[in-house]
Amino acid sequence: MLGIDDPYIWIAYILCFISAIGCMIYGAIKWNDGLDDEDVE
Amino acid sequence: MSVSTPVLGIAVLIYMMVICYIGWIGYKRTKSTDDYMLAGRKVNPFVLAFSYGATFISTAAIIGFGGYAGAFGMGVLWLVFLNIFVGIFIAFVFFGSRTRTMGMNLNAVTFPELLGRRFQSRFIQGFSGGLIAIFMPLYAGSVLIGGARFIETALGIEYNVAVLILAIIVAAYVITGGLIAIMYTDALQGALMFIGMSILLVITYINLGGITAAHQALTNMDPLVPENLAAIGHTGWTSMPAFGSDTWWILVSTIILGVGIGVLAQPQLAVRFMTVRSNRSLKRAVFSGGPFIFMMAGVAYIVGALSNVYFLNTRGMISLEAAGGNIDRIIPEYINSAMPDFFVVFFMLTLLAAAMSTLSSQFHTMGTSFGHDLYREYIKRGKIGKTINITKAAIAVTIVASVTLAYVLPPGIIARATAVFFGLCAAAFLPMYTGALFWKRMTREGAIASLLVGSFSSLFWLMFVNGRTATDIGISKMLFGTNTILTGTWTVVDPIIVATPLAIIVAIVVSLMTKPTPKEHLDLCFKK
Repeated sequence: MLGIDDPYIWIAYILCFISAIGCMIYGAIKWNDGLDDEDVE
Repeated sequence: MSVSTPVLGIAVLIYMMVICYIGWIGYKRTKSTDDYMLAGRKVNPFVLAFSYGATFISTAAIIGFGGYAGAFGMGVLWLVFLNIFVGIFIAFVFFGSRTRTMGMNLNAVTFPELLGRRFQSRFIQGFSGGLIAIFMPLYAGSVLIGGARFIETALGIEYNVAVLILAIIVAAYVITGGLIAIMYTDALQGALMFIGMSILLVITYINLGGITAAHQALTNMDPLVPENLAAIGHTGWTSMPAFGSDTWWILVSTIILGVGIGVLAQPQLAVRFMTVRSNRSLKRAVFSGGPFIFMMAGVAYIVGALSNVYFLNTRGMISLEAAGGNIDRIIPEYINSAMPDFFVVFFMLTLLAAAMSTLSSQFHTMGTSFGHDLYREYIKRGKIGKTINITKAAIAVTIVASVTLAYVLPPGIIARATAVFFGLCAAAFLPMYTGALFWKRMTREGAIASLLVGSFSSLFWLMFVNGRTATDIGISKMLFGTNTILTGTWTVVDPIIVATPLAIIVAIVVSLMTKPTPKEHLDLCFKK
């Protein structure tokens, strides 16, 4: 996989991408989640 | 150095002027204690994410751990995954929102104060503040050394002078502008780092013929692992070290778990959760925080490992050999040899930004811990002067301590300082901090017991069992005539494996044996 034979390494490599993209998806979905009294400008 | 000093000098000068300007804006905007300690509790989510990331990732993380990947390979990518998943996602979504809400409810302005007020104990606040004030200068000293070495090699300024210049510039905007100045300069420094590391990744993969081709070439280098490294478990740059070997233990216990989990209880990072106006801001910060950490740590480790392919193709040797056997020289050597000149200048700025962003937060956290938590709130029982003034004086004192350490400590101790501090925080603070946020049954006595057991067992392990630190510190040798009192695998096991579980058990047992916290106080702490 991706030129890496050891699954423990390519899994880590892919998890890095997945977790970074996952953070972006989570942030985007929750962008307007919840209201806060102070959240006005 | 392939780039002319004047070009780099001008770039550094412009960069410093912008930093000073932001520092001045921070100074103008600082009016209250909340402004100075918590940037007014209304920081923008992008600024929070970049500031958190830039503080977290120091020059040591890029050069030191990137070099480690160059020597030992891609196993360290597990740390990147934990940094993103635990250090960003778990931290912001679960710890962050509760920390922010509880901090507001209890009107806490520092991490030790949050813990102290949650458990109604000035001792917890004072002891935690003291622990940070004593041990963080070691960590700050090591970052200072990294930054000063950069100025020394890049600009040809004498090392001792470089330490002073760097400390004075950072001190100026930290002392005058407080956390507002720190977080906004961090965000700018973070943006510089983001661009620098992105270019580094793209050029590296292009030069080596693409992602799969580059990795395959690295995998093909397995037979080139030096015999002395193979003997301690090194199996190649795209495979994990042999299970249970010394290299495996150091990778998994100290680097992956110690730094990967330890990040949750870092005072200078946890305090940032209290700087935003709403829990929505924390969730928005996850959006940019995840990719930011990936582009910092992920890129440094991938590029560090792949530098082996570059050096094999161009010089017929592995990275460690090309760097003269010094792990810390791998990344600089690679940048200087493989990257275009314009990028070398830019990368130098990236490294300076990485050092300054970490340093500024360390100075601020040491000062608030020493001045506000230990001196004003614990020793003087909150009955003296104004927090801002005392904190400013304390920041100055701790900076002097860090600078002194940067001059006097031998390189051996300094190199271990980051791991030592992370490990200590994981044992001393993590069980107590987690209990404070998630377990209402945790009592003051349970928290104090956990704090003391975590701190002292961790320090004991560092001084008497862990081979690297115990040998450097030398107390074990002095008392018992032997570098470590245990032998074999124990000496490569990080304190986090022993001290943190011990502190967790003590926290649970003592809490269940003592009287629960009054309901009124819990209601105040956990009020939505």
